Amino acid sequence: MPVSSAVRATEVLLALSMLLQTLEYLRMRQALTVQGLWAWPVQRADIPAGPVQKLLDLLFADRAMHGHLLLRLPVLLLLAWHGSDLALAVFLFASHVLMLIRWRGAFNGGSDFMTLVVLTGLVSAQLVQLGGDPDLAWRAGLWYICLQSITSYFMSGWVKLMQPEWRNGHAMTIFLNAAIYGPLSASSFLRRPWLARLGAWAFIGWECAAPLALLHPLVALVFCTIALLFHFLVFWFFGLNRFFWAWLATFPAILACSAQRVFW
Amino acid sequence: MIEALFLLYFLVLLATLVFKSRIVTGPWLFLLRAFFPNWKFFHATGNVPHLYARWALPPEAPSDLLQWSDWVHVFPRRPRRLLHLFHNADTNLALVQQNLVEHLAADLNHMTADADARALVSYQLVSRLVCQSLQAQQADCTHGQFEVRMVLDGPMGFIQEDTMMRSPVLACR
Repeated sequence: MPVSSAVRATEVLLALSMLLQTLEYLRMRQALTVQGLWAWPVQRADIPAGPVQKLLDLLFADRAMHGHLLLRLPVLLLLAWHGSDLALAVFLFASHVLMLIRWRGAFNGGSDFMTLVVLTGLVSAQLVQLGGDPDLAWRAGLWYICLQSITSYFMSGWVKLMQPEWRNGHAMTIFLNAAIYGPLSASSFLRRPWLARLGAWAFIGWECAAPLALLHPLVALVFCTIALLFHFLVFWFFGLNRFFWAWLATFPAILACSAQRVFW
Repeated sequence: MIEALFLLYFLVLLATLVFKSRIVTGPWLFLLRAFFPNWKFFHATGNVPHLYARWALPPEAPSDLLQWSDWVHVFPRRPRRLLHLFHNADTNLALVQQNLVEHLAADLNHMTADADARALVSYQLVSRLVCQSLQAQQADCTHGQFEVRMVLDGPMGFIQEDTMMRSPVLACR
């Protein structure tokens, strides 16, 4: 995949991912009001007293928060339609960090982190462009996103491999039972120990081998196709729809970096 | 040269899984932890904090004792829909509430013996969650109470649980 196509694909997929996130935030805005569960007057005690706390008081007031989320919608459409520039990338980066603080560091864990990774790649590329070669800037941005994405699979796989409960397949059943769509029915085929073990080993092996995706564009394509299935299954069993879109936004970077054939 | 750098990078990552370092904490590090992702998802089984709550109606006379309901498990379960791939606000809100219970359990673990849990933001948010949840079940309830229990599950289901904390009586109105 050429760098220019990868950049556009990343922008469009990031815009889609953040658009879906923003629509969800708007839907749940009642929970963030003063009467809601996540009332800022309670949460502000997380912030050390000082000017930052006062600034956040202003930014997280109900009306300001609503306005901020509404403003994200046209900005994201602009990103998808027109592409990024420095102001747009910095706004989205700052907006995302603000939302993370509003949700005590993370709303949806890994998907927030990966969205931040893509935004960081975007902002970095825009900043490097100011000093010179845009192609070099985008290559650097894409490599950052690609490495972080590959690292996420690699770490996730190896940390599971080190756990006996994952190696014997028990962990998969335990997590599926505790999931938001759980528990598994008594007759579920996923309760079969051999199947749980096979599934666990398949995903551990695939995740641990993630760096191999950088060896060749075809390997990267196969890797990303399996990743798509993997994230769909994570959504299907655990309800983590944001993970699907957040990681999807990193696939153009993986495909573009593998096509640069730095290893052969 | 590039190959060697990549190899070194992934070897260092593996080393971080084997050699544990000191955990640095702080309010801003907690709030900005997204900048330091460890990418460890669903990695370890073991005791998981679960929230249990009970409610009481207002006493008929001021001298009456509160009549408590049974403990109910405050745990998110939602129906699955394919469309939720695109919009899953309710489920994601329920998941972040479960994370909140996990944060409270972690905060309690790190508390010094003389500290008051009621000062914790996580405690105050969980108290609000409990009152909202109880009032959704019993609109007239005026008092609530909750327990954080550490539950150990196995592949066949429940194995054991221990109560980590019981809250004082909460005024839910």
